[in-house]
Amino acid sequence: MELEQFIRDFEAAIEDLPVGSLTAESHFRKLEQWDSLAVLTVIAMANSEYGFALKARDLKRFDTVEALFAFIESSQNP
Amino acid sequence: MPKCSFEGIRVGGVVTCVPQRERCIDEEVELFGGNEKQIARLKKTIGLDRRRVVDDSTTAADLCEAAARRLLPACDLESSDIDAVICVTQTPDYPQPCNAAVLHGKLGLPKNCAALDVNLGCSGYVYGLWLAFMMISSGGCKRVLLLAGDTISRLVNKRDRSVASLFGDGGSATMIEQSDGAGTSWMSMDTDGTGFDRLIVPAGGARHPHSAETHLEAEDDAGNLRSKENLFMDGAEVFNFSISEEPKAVSDLLDFAGIEIDDVDHFVFHQANRYILSNIAKRLEIDPAKVPMRTVERFGNQSSASIPSALCSELGDLLSLDAGRQVLLSGFGVGLSWATALLPISSLRVCEVIDYKA
Repeated sequence: MELEQFIRDFEAAIEDLPVGSLTAESHFRKLEQWDSLAVLTVIAMANSEYGFALKARDLKRFDTVEALFAFIESSQNP
Repeated sequence: MPKCSFEGIRVGGVVTCVPQRERCIDEEVELFGGNEKQIARLKKTIGLDRRRVVDDSTTAADLCEAAARRLLPACDLESSDIDAVICVTQTPDYPQPCNAAVLHGKLGLPKNCAALDVNLGCSGYVYGLWLAFMMISSGGCKRVLLLAGDTISRLVNKRDRSVASLFGDGGSATMIEQSDGAGTSWMSMDTDGTGFDRLIVPAGGARHPHSAETHLEAEDDAGNLRSKENLFMDGAEVFNFSISEEPKAVSDLLDFAGIEIDDVDHFVFHQANRYILSNIAKRLEIDPAKVPMRTVERFGNQSSASIPSALCSELGDLLSLDAGRQVLLSGFGVGLSWATALLPISSLRVCEVIDYKA
């Protein structure tokens, strides 16, 4: 699992978010496009691309894309 | 429960009745705080658009009654031909008696007729089919009238963005009948009651009766308003549940039936929303053209009526042909509960949507 790929997948999952607008340090919940729909589409991305059952509350526990990535990675390879 | 199969029983006809009053998410800019971009994203991705909703004086029983009054003559049947009536609803006219008894009287069904309600939502139509098939297979009934309908729009708080623009209303009537030569039908039912509070109307039952306190509206973290008497939905959890359990339930039933996924002609899921359905279709690697998913954008999420509504609005002509089709039906939601059926369907005598006229 690569951070760069995760960032691209995260971008693609959010409707109306231009490619290249996220970095590892981006605070995703501060995005203009972040809403309950984005929560669903990111959960779907985690499920389909990484086979990971992300919870809505996990998305509230982390600020940056990198922190979320680290959480998924550590949960999959404990 | 273990999966099961039936022989010599068929669906004879389906009618779905919807209210005439239409609402559209475009009219709800204020609800979304003037965020038209968000509305556009919801329309594009989730498929929310128009929905049909009842007025304060119309109930699910009214819609089901109208559907039954169209179904019976279309199937060349009289009230006296019905051996049992099952009503699937979570919005009955009264806490008691059950809707099935009320409708039994209104429809003039005979006294030697069983009548019962089933308190299930999005999975309820398939549960109702299962019960009807069992009633016939046990030899007690020749014809069972299945009524499935809800008016969830009356339970949602109009200022709760997580549900207000999603739910529509509908009532359906389906004839299930003994028929020598009808092929094999397969069904499975599942439940995860630990998720009972993910989709719930908390107050109004014996646990939390209506009171001044349950009537009070409160704002949640996301700024949505609801009282304990309104429907609460944890959308993200219900979504997770749907995309993990549904593909598995479909695969398991097909394995049990020994039928290849490519040999199924139509996959008619509970019309929750287009996004959930396209995700389930993607995971099952099925052709999206085999998955009706335009019902929610016309009528809204109709709870127990959504599967018959999709049959009538998207497949009515095809299912009326004499050439048999393998149709998979699968409902999932409140309970949490999910149920799947694989039926050969052909020559339906009626399969249509009608507008409710008071």
